[in-house]
Amino acid sequence: MAHMTNPLATPDQLCALRHSPNSLPSELADLVFFQTQCLTQAAGLLLQLPQSVTAQANVILARYWLVEGLMSYEFSDVSAATIFLVSKVSSSPRRPRDVCNVYAYLLSPSSTFLRPPSSPPPVNNPKDYYLSESAFHRFHSRILNLESRILYALGFDTHVSLPHPLAITYLQALDFLGTPKQRISQSVLRYLNTALLSPQMLYLTSQPNALAVAAIYSAAKDTGAKMPESEWWEVFDVDREELGFLVVGMRSVQGYMDKLREEIPVDGRGKRGLLWRKDVQQEMARRGLEISIPNNNNNSTKSGDAEDEMMRLMDEKVARMEEYD
Amino acid sequence: MASKASRWASNDDEDDAAAAAKIKKEKEEKKKRLKAEKARQQLQLEAERQAAQQPQAQQPQSQDDDRDRPMKRRRLSPEQPNPPTPAATSSDSSKLLRFESGAFGRSRDVEEYDKLNDIEEGAYGFVARARHVSSGRIVALKRLKLDAKARGGLPVTGLREIQILKDCRHRNVVQLREVVTSRLENIFLVLEFVEHDLKSILEDMPEPFLASEIKTLLLQLASGVAYLHDHWILHRDLKTSNLLLNNRGQLKIADFGMARYVGDPPPQLTQLVVTLWYRAPELLLGASRYGQAIDMWSVGCIFGELLTREPLLQGKNEVDELSKIFALCGIPTDESWPGFRRLPNAKGLRLPPKTGGGGGGGGSQIRAKFPLLTAAGVELLGGLLALDPEKRPTAKQVLEHEYFKQDPRPKQEAMFPTFPSKAGQEKRRRRNDTPNAPVRGQQVKELGAVDFSGIFAGREAEERGGGFSLRMV
Repeated sequence: MAHMTNPLATPDQLCALRHSPNSLPSELADLVFFQTQCLTQAAGLLLQLPQSVTAQANVILARYWLVEGLMSYEFSDVSAATIFLVSKVSSSPRRPRDVCNVYAYLLSPSSTFLRPPSSPPPVNNPKDYYLSESAFHRFHSRILNLESRILYALGFDTHVSLPHPLAITYLQALDFLGTPKQRISQSVLRYLNTALLSPQMLYLTSQPNALAVAAIYSAAKDTGAKMPESEWWEVFDVDREELGFLVVGMRSVQGYMDKLREEIPVDGRGKRGLLWRKDVQQEMARRGLEISIPNNNNNSTKSGDAEDEMMRLMDEKVARMEEYD
Repeated sequence: MASKASRWASNDDEDDAAAAAKIKKEKEEKKKRLKAEKARQQLQLEAERQAAQQPQAQQPQSQDDDRDRPMKRRRLSPEQPNPPTPAATSSDSSKLLRFESGAFGRSRDVEEYDKLNDIEEGAYGFVARARHVSSGRIVALKRLKLDAKARGGLPVTGLREIQILKDCRHRNVVQLREVVTSRLENIFLVLEFVEHDLKSILEDMPEPFLASEIKTLLLQLASGVAYLHDHWILHRDLKTSNLLLNNRGQLKIADFGMARYVGDPPPQLTQLVVTLWYRAPELLLGASRYGQAIDMWSVGCIFGELLTREPLLQGKNEVDELSKIFALCGIPTDESWPGFRRLPNAKGLRLPPKTGGGGGGGGSQIRAKFPLLTAAGVELLGGLLALDPEKRPTAKQVLEHEYFKQDPRPKQEAMFPTFPSKAGQEKRRRRNDTPNAPVRGQQVKELGAVDFSGIFAGREAEERGGGFSLRMV
């Protein structure tokens, strides 16, 4: 069964993310989550990775944050490390240099990433994203450090089952609901891919079969396809309540994120968003709040742990040496 | 016969029989559960079909159902005192299949284990025997070799091994319990401890395995390999030193450092896999697209090794290996292996001229090399060692082979002889020694309540089989 199921988040883990003393206000946490997942997707496209690999990186990233907290490392570093790690164990590995180049570009003012659609297109200035040998070395070191950190946080379990193939199988079983195959399949996959970005972490709270059924239900509603009149989702072992929850979750991502984004001002680089941890700090200050950027994991459940202490010291040292320029 | 008896004279037998009985009982229970599950699923499908036939009649009732239906979605806030466990939900919800799933969290520290002794140092790291401090369980700790200067990060082979072992659950595949670290500098795989590897047993044993024992070992190997192949895993390094055997006669496939997931059609893969003596001819000839048949070739080599206690094809290098293969299995021809000439390394191959038609001097020598093997055995071995990968049987076909149905039947695992464990630092007893006091104290304690009927069933067979003296409990 391992290839059809995923390890799921425990209620305690989900609760700690939102309610621990050092956690961000939930809108900011949601926005950071959404943006970083978009960053991973954009990097996956530029690295020409199959979506199955990028999607797994999305899931691994979400799991990691649930264990270690959002602010423990720079967002883009975590994203780059998950892409690097997941591609490495997949059949389409990517070289560290390629990964670093792609992130340097996406984070630079020359890319359209996080640029409001209304603003003029960016001027391509290769100097913005040229990664010198030493800058590459530093970035690479951070990725390698994070790779071990992520594996450690997840107990070295990098297994991710995606709902995409299941969804197609279910569609076949449903005879594509009498609609053109390609149209409804694409719509289903879009819902599944959007759900990867949802700050509700749908992939961490539901099994692939439930996600697949919810995406089919949503797609069928959109295209006006006729669904069986019986409770067909039960054939795929999903109950009505979970289906309803997931359908609402999947359909609300876009609207919710648009709303959150509008509240963030456009920064000096022409980007609107919270790209770095210090952006989060600034935004908090603007709202009259305060947060320190931890150089360690901020999980308070294991305080006084000798190893955590050791990690904290090491990380502080690394962070001092590798300040962003 | 008396000398054979010493092979059995071991104080482990009671434990083993009891453990085997327990396992058997558990297995039966599992089978029953599976059957019930299946029946439930069928009922569900039936209900669906009926519901689909009369939607109008069903509609109002199903709405009623919804109102008092218990909440089955996983609770996502910890306020509720008892988040429903999968078992609880499946009992009150009637028919939906609940997938059991684990959680994820940080690795634990290696300090939770006490090292007892080193076992071996392999190409991918070193292995030690250790005890879990809080539970007393004995495990094998395998340290992954890390190169701190490697700018590629953690070695992909180690990551694959962890990923694959985590996904595997089969009685003939070594079980990975968890992965622990020490300050992120060292990574240890916590594996179930198995007393022996097949290679040291073969080297040390005074006389070869009996035909019935070889059948049992081979069946277990094939069943493990069938599981792996069924799950799209190629092991790519099957050999006797990677096969473990516990004191209850169970064989376990270990060392997945070369293993990987593959698809169909197989992706482009490296040819530098499998220890030379177990490497299939298509790999030696440079095929970059290969499949499950390379593991089956290794199974064939292991079969031969079990028969003679010596590796079958001990080539000094790739060329020598290939010539030894051709000497044993015959010279490849366009009939016996269509298309072999298209393989990259086949171009430089100069084959001896054929004398006359087919067969003759260029044919297989397997029959001659194993005069004591039955016809069915030769047929199986010859099939596994077929030069053409397409002609080798799959692991599933091996399980069904006639060889295992003929007398002598495969010996029950619980009836296997035991050996002093090198890994557990046990000394080899002299053959006429009286049995020692039990060594494995922890394991006896763990047994708890056991079904004794199983032991006696085993005993009777034992008595009939060898005429051994029985010790009273």
